[in-house]
Amino acid sequence: MAELKKEEGAADPKLQFAPFCSALEAGFWHQLTQKKLNDYRLDESPRNIKAYYCNGDPDGLPTRLTLEFSAFDADGPTPAHCCPASGTLYNTNTLEAFKSTDKKALLDKAANEIWDTIQSGAAVDDSSVLNRFILLTFADLKKYNFYYWFCFPALCFVEGVQLVQEPLSLEKRFTAKQISSLQMAYDNLCSLTGSTAVPHFLLKYTDESVHVAPLKDFNSFVKDLKKITVGVYDPCTLHQHPGWPLRNLLILLAKKWGSQIDVVEILCFRDRTLQGSRSIQHSIVFQVKLPDLSTCTVCPKSVGWEKNPKGAMGPRSVNLSECMDPKRLAESSVDLNLKLMRWRLVPSLDLDKVVSTRCLLLGAGTLGCNVARTLMGWGVRHITIVDNAKISYSNPVRQPLYEFEDCLNGGKFKALASVDRLKKIFPGVNAEGYNMSIPMPGHPVNFSETTMAQARQDVEQLEKLISEHDVVFLLMDTRESRWLPTVIAASKRKLIVNAALGFDTFVVMRHGLKKPRECRSEDSSPMSSSNSSSCSTPAVTTTTGASLFSNIPGHSLGCYFCNDVVAPGDSTRDRTLDQQCTVSRPGLAMIAGALAVELMVSILQHPEGGYAMASSSDDRMNEPPTSLGLVPHQIRGFLSRFDNVLPASLAFDKCTACSLIVLDHYEREGFQFLANVFNSSHSFLEDLTGLTLLHQETQAAEIVFVSFSSFCDAHDIL
Amino acid sequence: MATAGAGPLIGPGARKERPFRWMAGERPSASCYLDERTFRLCCQLFLQHSVTIQDGWSWEEIKVADEGFMRKTVLIPVRSDTSHHQDVCSVHTGNTESLTEELQADVEDEAAGVQSVCESPVVLRYEYHVVYSSSYQIPVLYFRVSTLDGRSLSLEEVWSNVHPNYRQRLRQEPWDTLTQQEHPLLGQPFFMLHPCRTEEFMKPALDLAQTQHKRLNYIVTWLSVVGPVVGLDVPLSYITAVSAPD
Repeated sequence: MAELKKEEGAADPKLQFAPFCSALEAGFWHQLTQKKLNDYRLDESPRNIKAYYCNGDPDGLPTRLTLEFSAFDADGPTPAHCCPASGTLYNTNTLEAFKSTDKKALLDKAANEIWDTIQSGAAVDDSSVLNRFILLTFADLKKYNFYYWFCFPALCFVEGVQLVQEPLSLEKRFTAKQISSLQMAYDNLCSLTGSTAVPHFLLKYTDESVHVAPLKDFNSFVKDLKKITVGVYDPCTLHQHPGWPLRNLLILLAKKWGSQIDVVEILCFRDRTLQGSRSIQHSIVFQVKLPDLSTCTVCPKSVGWEKNPKGAMGPRSVNLSECMDPKRLAESSVDLNLKLMRWRLVPSLDLDKVVSTRCLLLGAGTLGCNVARTLMGWGVRHITIVDNAKISYSNPVRQPLYEFEDCLNGGKFKALASVDRLKKIFPGVNAEGYNMSIPMPGHPVNFSETTMAQARQDVEQLEKLISEHDVVFLLMDTRESRWLPTVIAASKRKLIVNAALGFDTFVVMRHGLKKPRECRSEDSSPMSSSNSSSCSTPAVTTTTGASLFSNIPGHSLGCYFCNDVVAPGDSTRDRTLDQQCTVSRPGLAMIAGALAVELMVSILQHPEGGYAMASSSDDRMNEPPTSLGLVPHQIRGFLSRFDNVLPASLAFDKCTACSLIVLDHYEREGFQFLANVFNSSHSFLEDLTGLTLLHQETQAAEIVFVSFSSFCDAHDIL
Repeated sequence: MATAGAGPLIGPGARKERPFRWMAGERPSASCYLDERTFRLCCQLFLQHSVTIQDGWSWEEIKVADEGFMRKTVLIPVRSDTSHHQDVCSVHTGNTESLTEELQADVEDEAAGVQSVCESPVVLRYEYHVVYSSSYQIPVLYFRVSTLDGRSLSLEEVWSNVHPNYRQRLRQEPWDTLTQQEHPLLGQPFFMLHPCRTEEFMKPALDLAQTQHKRLNYIVTWLSVVGPVVGLDVPLSYITAVSAPD
């Protein structure tokens, strides 16, 4: 694959070298970051670092100079079977300085240092000083961008180096006996020098044996200057080319012995062990005509800046935010953790559906805090929180998004403080807080123009928020505050998950999701033959039985208000103080909050989503409808018995919140209708829906419809 | 020996019905566990053989903590015809283009002396660490894969480089325990095969060895089972050449 480029017009081909390619381990960047932050800081002075290269690669790998986290320990050990290269790190403080650094000057400086060691003879004593490198870096630690440019200084012959004999593999040049003799001699040299790799060495051979010696023994070892062979520990794997380290060695030979030597034989020593078997047969041997530099006193021209991956002379850059930016790490860890759930336990789990769900939390008290945290646990990224209260001293112990400090100076707004905390817990969350009130039936807003305008604005804001989200969580502390979002969400066909607490009881439920508008006429037509599954079907309340409460499709399920025969009103007005100060067992909100989120996730996993048929307690033994199990309508918990039941109930055609007539009025009259509800007593909604009539009909008769929700409504809590 | 115990576990036939039963404070049998001293001794013997066959393993000592781990780095060229190549390539060229143009004039290029075929193939570096977990009392295999500029690959990118046959296997128990975690000694993000299922494949091997009155080097047996799953080759000679510590 390596085609030798012949120089036009030249009689003999010129020798070409495979340049080093820089190889950096992630650990190097981590260490550089640490050094910059704790040690170098703004100090730009050059630092000594070290790298290494090996010669045992299988074919096909590029010739590399490797830097790992140990690079900053310039005197540290070199890995086995590797040659060290010492380098200088220039870490600039700015990108501007990185750009404007005089690269030519850096290269010239390094080249001159190499030339000095050659002239002084120091390079003969320790030839590893010929292997040098420069690393210019700029670390943008805000974005985790690292700009870098390597230089592997090589001194050049003006006319290049002429090949006298083309490269041959060692096995074509040497006999098996010579090869094993060479291997043994090299190993001896290694143990003599106390290392596992010798960068350059001399050798002489007969048909019978091979001898090697360190470079410094040149005068005693070399007897015949006509037949001189030099070995170089060669990191290249190309069959026709030597690697970079030969370059400065040739300069050294030319300077020291160029006047005496005409042709020199080069052994590019390559030593690899694959599957436990060692081989040096693939080393290459060739002969070059050695130019004479013995009279040369000025440092020859030098090259060595590395090309970038596009093959241009330019710096490289790498972005390591994925493994260094703590925020990115947190995000990928959260996602991976969830993916593991899919890979290991629930292969059909559709995580994207969960993660991409936009959740609106109405209420940021004990329920709201726990719901938000559980949503984050599921990787939900889009969380919006609405509340109008401030944090009080009693809150932090039960409401896990607040701390004592948040209560000081009158307390922070819950909607804002909760969102700040969510972002602290997980910066990847897209959370927004709205400090606003939700207008309620029986809580008049018509005191003044201002209050009316405020109510109108609040309604509009809530409508907008509900439109912008996929799931609405009702987590408020009163019953009547749930009315408006129930109406709006029912009208907008948004899924509602509702959680409410008593002292030691709770209800977590999904509201029935009305069919899309175009289907509704169909719904009330005789086409729907199934008994009472349509919400517009009358007389639901008059018949009851177990069969009615199973197999209810999602669009026929009731809402929080469906089971009531009174309209919501001001539930706090007639209560004593201890009733207003709602109290529940402290674990209850965590249980209910968690269940609310898990219910949402199970609904999302159902192919029909909010239209999924309600599972009931009877379904516990059946094949579950989703990979996560059942999709109930309601979960009602009794902490005193440590027991949950899964009832399901139908939508009520006289419901004060989700019945057709209420939705029609809301959709036609908008705020005017809502204002009437806010400003009137119970009877307005009861008259509208026909509850008043129902009351009169049933009079004192027993109401058959079992109201599950009433037992906890008295104690709706934060 | 090791493969005899491990073989059937790899296929889909050997799954399930072995839920991990390790509750806090309770431990099923001592045989699957390894104390830290034995871990080090096993590693020492393992490393000795690695040196003999130049398998590339080394012991990295964390001086301050008096702890250490076994490490090996393997480079694998990615064939440029795969689509993945582009993904890996495109990342590190992005924002230097303008920089290159600004700087180009500054630096001299040399065509004559440089071998021109140096558009090097994309190479992935697989770094394997064997770390002792004192909470699980077993060795844990950590690894990361990076390009030569030091950028670590995401699990998806690593995945796309796993041969489809093996990809299938990785999703089966007990190999589905791949997870991302901070390296306990380096504090850098690594992937790991979670130790929670080690017992599933170690116990049969250890039991078999016990009935045959053979002593196994834990690291050899364990690594020859978990290594291949994440592309780490453990030459057969380890099994015959490396003994158990006394």
